[in-house]
Amino acid sequence: MPEDLAEIYRSTYRSLVRFLYRKVWDAERAEDLAQEAFARALVHKPENARGWLFVVAANMARDEARKAARERRHLTLLKSEPDAVHSEPEDRIDADAKRARVRTALDQLTPRDREALLLWDAGMSYDEIAIQTGLARGAIGTTLARARRRLVEAYDSGSEGQHVARG
Amino acid sequence: MSHVDDGTLHAYLDGELTPVERARLEAHVAECAACENRLDEERALIERASGLLGLAQPPERAAPPLHELRRPSVVWRLRVPVAWAATVLLALGLGYYAGDRTSMSVAPEQVAMYSADSSAAQEARPNDRLGLRATPPPLGYSSPRAQAPAPTRPLAWTERKEGERQPTALESAAVVTGRDSILFGTAAASGVISIRTRDTGAANAVPAPAPAAPPPTARAALPQRALEEVDVRTRNATLQREEARRTLVATEWPIIRRGPARQILGAEPMGVPGLAVRNIRRSPSGEIVMVEQAIDSVTVIQLFQQRVESDNYRGRSFAADSLRSATAPTERLARFIGGVRVEIAGPLSADSLNRLLEQVKPIGP
Repeated sequence: MPEDLAEIYRSTYRSLVRFLYRKVWDAERAEDLAQEAFARALVHKPENARGWLFVVAANMARDEARKAARERRHLTLLKSEPDAVHSEPEDRIDADAKRARVRTALDQLTPRDREALLLWDAGMSYDEIAIQTGLARGAIGTTLARARRRLVEAYDSGSEGQHVARG
Repeated sequence: MSHVDDGTLHAYLDGELTPVERARLEAHVAECAACENRLDEERALIERASGLLGLAQPPERAAPPLHELRRPSVVWRLRVPVAWAATVLLALGLGYYAGDRTSMSVAPEQVAMYSADSSAAQEARPNDRLGLRATPPPLGYSSPRAQAPAPTRPLAWTERKEGERQPTALESAAVVTGRDSILFGTAAASGVISIRTRDTGAANAVPAPAPAAPPPTARAALPQRALEEVDVRTRNATLQREEARRTLVATEWPIIRRGPARQILGAEPMGVPGLAVRNIRRSPSGEIVMVEQAIDSVTVIQLFQQRVESDNYRGRSFAADSLRSATAPTERLARFIGGVRVEIAGPLSADSLNRLLEQVKPIGP
């Protein structure tokens, strides 16, 4: 089992970080959570470690998101001054803006569609996604088709809106 | 074959169709221009969606080796087993000892941690064997650990008042059990905790608080019962012994000034240069001086010092001796400086203590 987990760690760690990152939107936090998930797997030695890891990671990310939402509410109440003006390179701003737009677009998907899409992108098979999400295996293709279309549409409409706003 | 739906097209492009399904789809697309176009469109959609997700990538950083991953926090790993163990052991210990108060013998590793004062029952009890004082310590006294800002176990007698009932002993003991379980993990989990109550012979199961439960919760859950003694037995009791020894010494040994200490030793009291001296104390018999020095806010070392030519020096560990077998004698590091034998004790490894002991020298005024 430890050997298996070592292999899974090699093949899945980055995917798990990516999966978590698109939930918590903080790279270091995503790495922390991924490592915590693997550390727990070392203790629990689950049978289907890969699936187990994603379930644990998703739960941790959900807890994290709730906590972040609470903190945001507090911050909103406390915040009275505008943000300091950043002097970051243009491409960095551009990348950040695109990432923010992707995030906004992902937020517009239904939770189930988003989960299926992120799991697929993390390298999970249809069978694994079906187990994780509780969807029928035959419904995964349709779910992914809808999720992808909605993501692209939401992203494009978001950027159009932004251009309009800028113009 | 009718036209192919989006889901099947995506499953095909994702490589998730069975060979039979795939062959059927390919045969249809070869004959259906509309579906062929849609296949191209969906392929482009998948690439686009994948590209968008690629914009939201965390920076690539090397993964730490698996074996170096920090383990889940101790609290996370132990919270459930510890809560259960504490509850069961406490209940078992209560039931066992409440039914047979007189049968308890003092095992070498046994540590007496708390004593409720109060009246005749106290005097009638052979409390000397446990090295417990018959009278409460001065009001407001608290041990060095209790003074420290970091969270440490509460001492039962820090708030004790003359003639007051002593429910706090039981409360604090229960809290200590919870805390120790977290701090010391297996050591406490493998221990046996027993509590004897004074009023009846009946077994009284007391629920132990969950490790995270704050003292008020424990207070509410515990019966307000005066407590005779709380004993902690454990196979791996070094830490508890250390704590108990310090607590006993702290309450029995009066604080003295440097002058009287110099008189006892016939030399300046010893200490580790550079460390703050918390207190200088003397043993009840007045022959041993103990200097407490703080390494940090929660770590205090103790240096037991005695004149070698003293009649009472019998060439053995007087630090352990001073506890009158209340704790198991542990090997202590000692050295002679001039005419004074200095022993060191503290919650550090033998190696660290040894290194500190090497630095010990007379501390001037």
